[in-house]
Amino acid sequence: MAEPATARLVDAGARASLWLQPHRIGLIAVGVVLVVCAALFMRWDWLPNYYGLALEGIWRTLWILVVTCVLGFMLAVPIGLVQVTGPRWLSVPAYWFCTVIRGTPLLLQLWFLYYGLGSLFPQYPWIRESFLWPYLRQAWPYAVLSLTLSYAAYEGEVMRGAFAGVARGQLEAARAFGMSRWKVFRRIWLPQAIYRALPTLTGETVLQLKATPLVATITVVDIYAVASRVRQSTFIVYEPLLLLAVVYLCITGILVFAFRKLEARIPARLG
Amino acid sequence: MKYAPEAAAEAIHIENLHKKFGELHVLKGVSLSARDGDVVAIIGGSGSGKSTLLRCINCLENPTSGLIRVNGEEIKLKADSHGHTVPADRRQIERIRSRLGMVFQSFNLWSHMTLIENVIEVPIHVLGVQRDEAVANAERLLARVGLSEKRDVYPAFLSGGQQQRGAIARALAIEPRVMLFDEPTSALDPELVGEVLKVIGDLAQEGRTMILVTHEMKFARKVATHVVYLYNGLVEEEGPPEAIFGAPRSDRLKKFLHNVH
Amino acid sequence: MSPPGWGGNLLRGLFNSVLIAAGAYSIGIMVGIAGAFGKLYGGPVLRDLLELYTTIVRAVPELVLILLLYFAGTDLINRLLEAFGYQRIDINGLVAGICVLGIVQGAYSTEVIRGAILAIPQGQIEAARAYGMSPGLLLRRITLPAMLPFAIPGLANLWLIATKDTALLAIVGFNELTQETRTAASTTKAYFTFFLVAGALYLLLTLFSNVIIARVEKWARRGMHVESH
Ligand SMILES: Nc1ncnc2c1ncn2[C@@H]1O[C@H](COP(=O)(O)OP(=O)(O)OP(=O)(O)O)[C@@H](O)[C@H]1O
Ligand SMILES: [Mg+2]
Repeated sequence: MAEPATARLVDAGARASLWLQPHRIGLIAVGVVLVVCAALFMRWDWLPNYYGLALEGIWRTLWILVVTCVLGFMLAVPIGLVQVTGPRWLSVPAYWFCTVIRGTPLLLQLWFLYYGLGSLFPQYPWIRESFLWPYLRQAWPYAVLSLTLSYAAYEGEVMRGAFAGVARGQLEAARAFGMSRWKVFRRIWLPQAIYRALPTLTGETVLQLKATPLVATITVVDIYAVASRVRQSTFIVYEPLLLLAVVYLCITGILVFAFRKLEARIPARLG
Repeated sequence: MKYAPEAAAEAIHIENLHKKFGELHVLKGVSLSARDGDVVAIIGGSGSGKSTLLRCINCLENPTSGLIRVNGEEIKLKADSHGHTVPADRRQIERIRSRLGMVFQSFNLWSHMTLIENVIEVPIHVLGVQRDEAVANAERLLARVGLSEKRDVYPAFLSGGQQQRGAIARALAIEPRVMLFDEPTSALDPELVGEVLKVIGDLAQEGRTMILVTHEMKFARKVATHVVYLYNGLVEEEGPPEAIFGAPRSDRLKKFLHNVH
Repeated sequence: MSPPGWGGNLLRGLFNSVLIAAGAYSIGIMVGIAGAFGKLYGGPVLRDLLELYTTIVRAVPELVLILLLYFAGTDLINRLLEAFGYQRIDINGLVAGICVLGIVQGAYSTEVIRGAILAIPQGQIEAARAYGMSPGLLLRRITLPAMLPFAIPGLANLWLIATKDTALLAIVGFNELTQETRTAASTTKAYFTFFLVAGALYLLLTLFSNVIIARVEKWARRGMHVESH
């Protein structure tokens, strides 16, 4: 485990020189020239005016991403589990939930919830009088709900496979040693299933990030909505879109890096 | 003694062949030649370069230097921009390859084709034979290796011995000038080795020209007209099978034969 | 509740969606084959550029790419036309949509096909070379068909993604199913019904695709053992 620091340094140096081949230096130079040209010849004068709004937008994008992924994963565990061992009245709905969500576009689901359900609610006085009403009139609960359900369905499918993939023999062994059903689940089954599902989390989370701009279509002001607003009010097309793409690239890069660190800390316990 | 008559034409001629993989010098100047009707057995320890030598003949590996002549035609080589030797004329290599029937240790039948499709593939698409002619020929060859009933079966559903016999039929289908065998039985379960050796033995009897890398010493002694013992990238000793197996001269060969038996 | 005719609009939208999906998917596969071969056998510069392409496309939301490529693409074509003294043209939304989604799909196909080619047992390629097949013949007769069983699960998934991604074109105002539904819904105020119907149409498309995919997969795996789980 604790290799000498010098060895690691040499290793890193060797890897860097392997990565930085001559043609890469050329490519990087071309890239730098392109960036400099973009900075010099494109219009960035709008940037100061929208700086604050953009930061808010990034914050909201990240917030939606984190909340929906966490909630979605918590939902995905039972959805996966009941499909493997649950009674029919649970496993059949869970199966159809996954099929329907995965079989229709997220944009449609979002609009269905916001416009469809949203248009039904005001017809019922008891809903209008309930304490939830101030929230139901806003857009973000619908955004969070539909992104959560989507993540739950895709990751639920993964969890189903992960639960089913744990060897029966191990569970039987645990029961043979007198563990209760709940204990077997908590101590043996769930941890192993989560280890199995972990490698898919990076990909699913990046996909979730790529889904977040859809919320802009129901008036939630995320970073994508900010870029659209710039485009509409200043008629500048490319600059905000390019910057937006860079922002998403950076967020994806950070996500991938963070998950890789996380995965490295989890010992490979599975054969 | 089954020496080929002196008049027989030269089929393969290799002179001073060198092959390096990076720093690793695998072949260090090998010469070898085979006339029509010869059965040349190449024996040697693991890593001595037998497979590499065989694969250089049809340029599956590009030799580092040396001369290779197949059917009297010298393979043209040139140096590429990295200083590696590569074939100068792709067409020439393809033409030469299409007359060399290679049989691999791991069969390498194409998994998306049935057995008969495997056998007719090269005749139709490389040699331009008419389809019905190719099929008729393939059926004859499959009957010959005892696989008539398996003609429409995919390779994954055949035993190793059946796959290897199928691969031999595939090689025969191109009417090869020379057949190249690279340890055709080492990936087989012991009880399946016999059926494949029998097919190869029959081909040798028939006077087919072949170059055979093998670990089956008894078989080599029986079918070969000429045996080459390769040690560490060099021909250590060569000669007729009686001499090589009956009266080995070099200590290394003696030790090798002793260990194998 | 719904005036006669809206149903027709929805069906026309569905037809457009399938058309876009099929077009984008075909372009995606062609880009994917070229990209995979470039990544596997291309020079270092080509390989790096392809890596850049797949990384960027897979990290940036489709919506942003669609807008960027749509605006930039139409703009570029019009500027070229003007430079050569032609009239500006209105780029057909359908064609633009297909091309843009095709480029996005291409990045994913590249990875799928690259993985599938790497999964072919190397000996089968070597055997084909040993029998004198030219690179073109090898590609057509051995590499492409032999990689299919490995590529089909990924490619099938991409088809399902393509059908759903067509909904994104609603945002640039193209009349595919989701957009038709929104128009119908906001005109009649029957949001709930129309979105439900559109959802059912998409779901049917997916389920129908799944049936076809299962058949294709069975055919592609004909030369392989059935794996028992
Ligand atoms: N493509 C390659 N790249 C690098 N080294 C290689 C390559 N192919 C073979 N070698 C090396 O060349 C040497 C000779 O290999 P070769 O396969 O010719 O041996 P062999 O005599 O056929 O052995 P065996 O009886 O085990 O098949 C070995 O040390 C091997 O590791
Ligand atoms: Mg070998």
